[in-house]
Amino acid sequence: MNHHRSESAALSRRQLLRMIGVSAGSAAMYQAMTALGFAAESPYRGPVDLSGAPRGASVLILGAGMAGMTAAYELRNAGYQVQVLEYNNRAGGRNWSLRGGDTYTELGGFTQHCRFDPELYLNPGPWRLPYHHHGMLHYCKRLGVALEPFVQVNYNAYLHSSHAYGGAPQRYREIKADYQGHVAELLAKATRQNALDDAVSKEDREKLLESLRDWGALDSKFAYVTGDASGDRRGYRKKPGGGLTGRPVYSDPLQLGELLDSGLWAGIFQGDTFDWQSPLFQPVGGMGRVGEAFGRELGTLIRYNAKVTEIHQDDHGVTASYEDTTRPGAAKLTARADWCLCTIPLSILAQIPMNVGAPMAAAIAAVPYGAAVKIGLQFKRRFWEQDESIYGGITYTDLPIANIGYPSTGYFSDGKGVLLGAYIWGVNAMEFTSMTPEERVQRALDYGGQIHPQYHDEFDNGIAVAWHRSPFTMGCYGEWNDQSRARHYDNLCQIDRRILLAGEHASFIGGWQEGAVTSALDAIGRLHQRAVAQGQRT
Amino acid sequence: MSAAPRYARGLLLICALALGARADDSAFNAVSTLKNVDGQDIYSRICQGCHMPQGEGAVGAGHYPRLAGDPSLVSWQYAALIVLNGRNDMPAFGAPPDLIWDGPTVHLSDAQVTDVVNYVRSHFGNKYKDPATEAEVAKLPHSGQPLATK
Repeated sequence: MNHHRSESAALSRRQLLRMIGVSAGSAAMYQAMTALGFAAESPYRGPVDLSGAPRGASVLILGAGMAGMTAAYELRNAGYQVQVLEYNNRAGGRNWSLRGGDTYTELGGFTQHCRFDPELYLNPGPWRLPYHHHGMLHYCKRLGVALEPFVQVNYNAYLHSSHAYGGAPQRYREIKADYQGHVAELLAKATRQNALDDAVSKEDREKLLESLRDWGALDSKFAYVTGDASGDRRGYRKKPGGGLTGRPVYSDPLQLGELLDSGLWAGIFQGDTFDWQSPLFQPVGGMGRVGEAFGRELGTLIRYNAKVTEIHQDDHGVTASYEDTTRPGAAKLTARADWCLCTIPLSILAQIPMNVGAPMAAAIAAVPYGAAVKIGLQFKRRFWEQDESIYGGITYTDLPIANIGYPSTGYFSDGKGVLLGAYIWGVNAMEFTSMTPEERVQRALDYGGQIHPQYHDEFDNGIAVAWHRSPFTMGCYGEWNDQSRARHYDNLCQIDRRILLAGEHASFIGGWQEGAVTSALDAIGRLHQRAVAQGQRT
Repeated sequence: MSAAPRYARGLLLICALALGARADDSAFNAVSTLKNVDGQDIYSRICQGCHMPQGEGAVGAGHYPRLAGDPSLVSWQYAALIVLNGRNDMPAFGAPPDLIWDGPTVHLSDAQVTDVVNYVRSHFGNKYKDPATEAEVAKLPHSGQPLATK
């Protein structure tokens, strides 16, 4: 009972960090956190230095997504001759917003016409920028892309299980407050019954109890009960107001057992995840504004509608053969440069003949692509705001739609609004992918209507993007596991004579644009070193 | 993608497990109920997302192989090995169900792999008369069982 703190090995990481922080300041704390695996944020370290580029040196870039355009922008600015080949007829790749008037044809030939009102959009791919994705934020700033806050955690959005509380959605605020309150009460009880004496010194005991009272909104007797303290967290049956009608009526916490059974506690921690911590941002007008701005900046350096069919390197350079997709059957074209930075998703690159060594070829073939589906639903009015006071944020559900995302912009407007009606991964995403776009939208309405009954009367139109049906990626993002990373990741990223790869698939921030940006910067830094070492054009 | 962070995907997975849900809607499967689905269902709910409703495949920047009339399907071993171990873009459906990827794992049992291979080899104009058996498929190299039980 009294051997606590006698062994330094028993120090938790948190305790260790606290000691380091107190004794050595925040810089040392940050270093230590990094060493311990915390705070492993984007490796972006400011604008890349590519000074001293050999005169006339050229780079062929395949793909005008975030990775390709980051590289093209920096290499061009450094004096390299750059050209970019892009399969789509637009810049951005997965950085993309669908707006009214857009047409999207997925693999299989299913065509959808987006009929959203002006200003409204769906981001089929990325939709948020964490505050620590410094590379993306940097390029938004440099390109003049305006950002606004993206609401990740909304205490008034829902956590929903079709198996709990009669299928009635619960406010995030209430689930969080009640979970925290009950856990704090249990811990306080254990502490006061001396059950934690092994772990907590006598001098810390009172501090722990006070912190539990604060954390859990416990009353003077360390109980989580109906009253002022819990009401201040979970909200009220009748909110406090002014005058004679303003007296509040407290609400009753949910019972612990039922709360644990519901599983809804699993949705509490969303905003604690490093990539989802507040604040996050989004480009004003849709995520696609970033790709559009990059595309404008690079102008004629990008050749659109170019489908790469072969990549061949020799001792002096790299040649890409490609087809102009607007002229089917026309003769193949070629582009050639000293070096090639290829950002084509591995799902597609694995099928393109390219003479690289066995290690890189094996790495390219080792990464399957994740299934994901997003569905945008336009409604005649913003009922989630008008009826339910939900302004931005996300509802999480066990229904196959998984998420309902509320727009973090255009609040309080009278017109129509677009919800993210589904955002799905895994087996359910495969199932949605297998449907026609119309079926996907109908399903999203059926399921979402269980949470928002207004769906039935207010629905206007919708659009559904299943990433495995995307002609330009054939999947959402590269899926690694520990074994495949250990065996192939370095081989994927190494320069193979004159060819090197970049993209989210060549990063440890898979599925995030920041992975694409930082992998591009890492790649062109190494390419530059090699180009400088080789001197002038060979 | 693009959007969902690695950790976020982890969270969703945890959510799905904790809620233990998606099970009682016949249109959709939980990871936990996928084992109840047969070859035809697997094709129409999973495979056809890429290989298309009539096995016709598709062409974009890359392509999804056409299964209708694919001569390589003469070998059930070939088909089963690809389903079990994946190929390029295509995930390994025979990977251990608890293998941690950057996204949720979708695992098919040996019986289901057998079933879907036999389905594809006998539909879309394919008329192979030598169906694979589960016992034969189980012998093909693939990682199969949960890591935890190994």
